[in-house]
Amino acid sequence: MKRILGILSFVGCAALFIGLVAMYLFAQSTPAPVLAAQVDGVVTTSQGVLPHAFLELNTYPDGEAPENFNSDHSPHSDWVSYGPSTTLQVPAHSLVTIQITNYDGGEVLNNDFFASVRGVEGQAIMNGQPFTSISPEHVGHTFTLRPAPANTTSDLFVSVPLQAVAEEDMPESGYTTKPNVVTFSFVVGEPGEFFWNCEYPCGDGTYAKFGSAMSAMRYMAGTLTVV
Amino acid sequence: MRKLNVWTGIVFGVIVAVAAHYLAKRYIPMGADETGTVLMDRVVITTMFGWTLGFMVGVGAFVGPYRWMMNRDLDHDDQMWLAGKDAGMARYFRFTTDHKVVGIQYLVMTMVLFAVGGTMAMMIRTQLMHADSTFLNNTWYNTLVGMHGIIMIIATIIMVSGPFGNFVLPIMIGARDMAFPRLNALSFWLIFAAVPVLLSAPFLGGISTGWTAYAPLSTQAPAGMDAYIVTIIVFAISSAVAGANITTTAVTMRARGMTWNRTPIFVFGTVASVGVAIPAFPMFMASQIFSGLDRTQGAAFYDAANGGSGWLYANLFWLMGHPEVYVILLPALAALLELTPVFSRSPLFSFNSAVGGIAGITGLSMLVWAHHMYASGWAPDLNGPFMLTTELISIPTGMLFLVFIGTIWRGRVWGRLPMLAVYAMLFNFLIGGLTGIYMSDVPVDYALHGSMYITAHFHYTLMGGALTGMIGATAYWFPKMTGRMLNEKIGIPAFVIMQVGFNVTFMGMFLVGLQGQQRRVAHYDKLFENGNFISTMGAYTIGFGALMLLYTVITSWRRGEVASDNPWGAKTLEWMVPTPVPLENFEVPPVVTSDPYGFGGPDAYDLEYEADRRPSDDLETERV
Amino acid sequence: MSPVSVSTRIRHFTKRTYVRHVFLLWVFFTIIVGLFAPLQSKLMGPAASTQMEVVQETMTLFTYMAAPVAGLIFAVVAYSLLAWRSKGFVAPEYEGTSSRGNGPTTVAWMLVSSLLCVVLLIWGLAEMADGQTARGDERARIINVTGNQWVWNFDYIENGSVRSQELYLPVNEPVLFHVTSVDVNHSFWIVQMGVKVDANAGVVTDMRVTPTLIGDFDIRCAELCGLNHSAMFTKVHVVSQGDYLAWILKNGGHQ
Repeated sequence: MKRILGILSFVGCAALFIGLVAMYLFAQSTPAPVLAAQVDGVVTTSQGVLPHAFLELNTYPDGEAPENFNSDHSPHSDWVSYGPSTTLQVPAHSLVTIQITNYDGGEVLNNDFFASVRGVEGQAIMNGQPFTSISPEHVGHTFTLRPAPANTTSDLFVSVPLQAVAEEDMPESGYTTKPNVVTFSFVVGEPGEFFWNCEYPCGDGTYAKFGSAMSAMRYMAGTLTVV
Repeated sequence: MRKLNVWTGIVFGVIVAVAAHYLAKRYIPMGADETGTVLMDRVVITTMFGWTLGFMVGVGAFVGPYRWMMNRDLDHDDQMWLAGKDAGMARYFRFTTDHKVVGIQYLVMTMVLFAVGGTMAMMIRTQLMHADSTFLNNTWYNTLVGMHGIIMIIATIIMVSGPFGNFVLPIMIGARDMAFPRLNALSFWLIFAAVPVLLSAPFLGGISTGWTAYAPLSTQAPAGMDAYIVTIIVFAISSAVAGANITTTAVTMRARGMTWNRTPIFVFGTVASVGVAIPAFPMFMASQIFSGLDRTQGAAFYDAANGGSGWLYANLFWLMGHPEVYVILLPALAALLELTPVFSRSPLFSFNSAVGGIAGITGLSMLVWAHHMYASGWAPDLNGPFMLTTELISIPTGMLFLVFIGTIWRGRVWGRLPMLAVYAMLFNFLIGGLTGIYMSDVPVDYALHGSMYITAHFHYTLMGGALTGMIGATAYWFPKMTGRMLNEKIGIPAFVIMQVGFNVTFMGMFLVGLQGQQRRVAHYDKLFENGNFISTMGAYTIGFGALMLLYTVITSWRRGEVASDNPWGAKTLEWMVPTPVPLENFEVPPVVTSDPYGFGGPDAYDLEYEADRRPSDDLETERV
Repeated sequence: MSPVSVSTRIRHFTKRTYVRHVFLLWVFFTIIVGLFAPLQSKLMGPAASTQMEVVQETMTLFTYMAAPVAGLIFAVVAYSLLAWRSKGFVAPEYEGTSSRGNGPTTVAWMLVSSLLCVVLLIWGLAEMADGQTARGDERARIINVTGNQWVWNFDYIENGSVRSQELYLPVNEPVLFHVTSVDVNHSFWIVQMGVKVDANAGVVTDMRVTPTLIGDFDIRCAELCGLNHSAMFTKVHVVSQGDYLAWILKNGGHQ
């Protein structure tokens, strides 16, 4: 009896310790706070009349812009960053319209597959003009989205390039006054999760420039949850 | 010298690390076209080597050479002090040359590493319980997977050669210590120095590769990768030193009369293991040095865009990686081969086949590495030859199975924990080995490579086979090393719980692997959810059993039943010395007149055999 | 005394109770292990290519060959625990046999394991050779595959400049993939077709497959490639010839 008590208390203490480790790791894994889409009216789409949800994002050359989540909370405020958050939430069965304002410069893609607009509903618009692709030499970032592996209800693939701000428009300090604004839409169905990330290599100093911010959630990668 | 111990080592290590860090940040240049990440890698690596050097100096590792250079060579009293004479518990916390102390240090280190790696495994399995789990983000998951892997690999490499190769082997061959006692302590403290380096990786951004650290992903990885690189370089030095020590000891220091035919099989297994490690681990070290150069100096060993190749890394790594699994396996199997005759009261079946099997595995292990690269596209024309060598390795491995079941055959089996470990190993390693044969077939490997099937296979062989062997070895030599019996009233249930949990966990992985789940994924298709849930429940069971076993070891060590000198009635030399073992093991060096497997006697069937006997039969007749 | 013949010795041997019991256990365990063969095929799902059919055949054959080997080990282990065990914690009173080995058994074991090895090898080499006869096959449709962190994309170079992240294939036509990566190592794995080849930066690796089933199958990346490795997957749609052409034309390609 005493032996069983001994075993259980030992295992219990160890389990408690392991639980504390788990809690620590969970806390370290917290994503950026949720940015929920604003629903405004309905719209006719290729899949019927659906509610219209709106998200506004921006891409900055670093994480210090005030409305960006990373400006207060980030260990890497010098990393290029999507803002205000990378954890997006949209309602199920809706048309999601995302507007991204790109303040960052850029260069040539390593795979010009991503210079084309793919998977959107209707047309993507850049600075007021519809477009289907841009020059692969001047890509700032991309927004590339696909389902999480557990999301067996959707085959959605969306990829939209964000044109780089022209070299001469990039100021010495602060952010450019001539960002490129891109708007695009896609239809979401059942609740599920999607992963999105940038496919333009902007993780400077790392191999293939896909390290640092490019390989970190909260900067150049995030999730989109359909609820 | 007498003031140096682990605490001075830590203090000095921290001081040198901080100094190195400051100097590195101040003076290491950064080229105009280089970015902050490269500089950070250089600073991190410098700091870590500073820690390692500082710790080794502070713990007293270089006292011997230093005193020799100063012409004040260590005298007899100094050497006795270094060997821990009359020092009590304090000798475990400093640079002590007595092989028995180093063995115990290795045993505790191994258990700590298993605890850390095991905790990480619990985290991984918790994440994998659900297909869309949000317990860990991808960065942390990948880091944990890589850390779990390398910690377990290091732990399993040292788990038998470290504790038992050090404590038991010299006594078993009738020697007073190992050939190079100071190098012995050096090999242990190098690992001790490397552990904090490795454990700092998650806090430096983690590692985005698995434990295989494939290039060029390793070049892209965050600063945690530098911790991995430094750890491996230090570990390679440690294992080279240990390898030289064990080999020299076994070859030159066997007692008078101990010919190779009378040498216990454990010695063969351990020597073969380090014999394979000696050429293999330098490849690992080289692969990491090149990786470090790629990361910090822009060298292009693995960068295809600048003339390098990721395949260079893969070849260097697997030239280590395959022999390495035999480094892990051979001592564990050899320990079980050593104890099976004792617990079957019957001689080892065909000692020569056991030696031949070990030799065959050792030789072939250097020739099979590219079976890890069938699908890499490196050299498709070589897939056939590597399939040949890989399938050939099943023959010597099969010989070892024959020796096991031959020894058990018509034995009188004593079902204590060491023997239960033999049975568990036979079951697990059979499954692991047979699934390995599937994967050695090239077309099948194209389907299975990179899936959870592979993960299940190597856990069955390394954990189900080798780790189980280590548990058996621990239970077997516990009375000699600690002076107490391992409590089997809790030990055996704990062991059984672990084995049941183990099989549930990894059978589940075979299942999802066949269904198509890849390795190293934080999320997976809903199809695999049931299999993963079962695996996670099995993993928690392993955790429970392992903790129970740890409790058993700790409580038995502190207040277990006091052991006699030879509780198992074994015949190897370590059981002929008193417990606790005197400082110099033997008062008088022993003279050996026979091998240690003289068990057994005639039974009912032997009388019947009389009628079948050929007149030319030897005194040691052949019975089937 | 006069030597007895080998056949008499074998006869005496097979009469021993323990030998008969072990034999029965051997048969029992062999059957149990053999039952894993159909289970494996069921888990892997229907074979969607000629290559996967080979894989499933091989795994079934290997399982049936392994069954007696595993069965023997399990039988000896089980019987020793049942019949040769000394009960309790105390050391056994009696010793076991003093046999130090048996030449014929050792030789037989070596021969049988070598024979099994040779069979495995010949089978494997034959299957590999089969897979390579398509090498000179001019009819194989060539599709370029590019892996990058963390998306697969395909170039249908024989049909113009069609690019997509989904793979469409016409059924029963051999395909040759030229696979490469623009950054780190990936592995291009068509799961239900049982084929895989790594995507490496700066080099092109080849993979051949002939799909035989119409349907949707999974392509997963099988080499850890960083943050979103688990999300690097897409689908392959195997369709009829006509449907394939229709899809190509819809995406701006040509015949």
